[in-house]
Amino acid sequence: MDASIAEQQRILASDWGGGKSPFGTSWSKFMMWIFIISDALTFAGFLVAYGFMRSISPEWPDQTQVFDMRLITFMTFALISSSAVMACAVGAARAGDAKAAFKFLVLTIGGGIIFLGCQVYEWSHFIGEGATLTSNPWGVAQFAASFFLITGFHGFHVLSGVFILAVVAIRAAMGKYSADSVENAGLYWHFIDVVWVFVFAFFYLM
Amino acid sequence: MSEHAHPVGYKQYLKTWFWLLVLTLLALGMGYAPLGAGLKAFLLVTVTLAKIVLIAMIFMHLQFEKLNLVMLTFAPLILAIILLAFTFPETRGSATHVLMLR
Repeated sequence: MDASIAEQQRILASDWGGGKSPFGTSWSKFMMWIFIISDALTFAGFLVAYGFMRSISPEWPDQTQVFDMRLITFMTFALISSSAVMACAVGAARAGDAKAAFKFLVLTIGGGIIFLGCQVYEWSHFIGEGATLTSNPWGVAQFAASFFLITGFHGFHVLSGVFILAVVAIRAAMGKYSADSVENAGLYWHFIDVVWVFVFAFFYLM
Repeated sequence: MSEHAHPVGYKQYLKTWFWLLVLTLLALGMGYAPLGAGLKAFLLVTVTLAKIVLIAMIFMHLQFEKLNLVMLTFAPLILAIILLAFTFPETRGSATHVLMLR
């Protein structure tokens, strides 16, 4: 009898025994991670499809000639900086410093808006040069199609992120924020940064 | 993990930001360097992985999470590699794909 109770307690104390959370996070943070993982699969699909199209294309335009790499590098700088500031916002929120958290959140949103502004400029410039979803002046039709699909999907994530962060920032200013909500929004924002790191390397530089 | 076990790491975030910018410039240099396609791809993948490890471990706090969660985040990367391994042979040796493009 005693042995079976001890056995039961041993199982409950183990990671997958049902007695505690195997992942050791709050439910909301875990849900955000599950969302990020499924979203990462979407982008993985896009990038693999892009790699596929590129390797079956007889030629591919030199991206560093087509795009203004100074602008792309500046966009990368803006997004990485906003990600670093977001990490500070989460730290401040965890420490209970609502004022600093709000300040950092506003800076993060600023970085996101700068990124989006540059992207609008890049898109209108690209379209102005004659690029459409099905054709472009640089030869391979798939070039512009993957550009619009991948950067468009990423840009839409940035736009959503700006809205999410705005809601969190407004709530922080009203004193209604919780450190968890700031951290979850932060996880999403860092994920956008991670995706851009892939896009920057594989679409613009490779 | 206790949420208050670690102090606010502004200094660490600043350092991480600096290294991310250095790696970005490194990747940019590789984009322009006259390297072979294979070597360039390998170097860019290495720099990219270094950057995402920095962001995930420090900015996304995976360094403080349980190993179970850390392992879970590798799922998309592993599945992407499997997808690449299954699709890539299709790009070799068949002229029909190239014809479809034209």
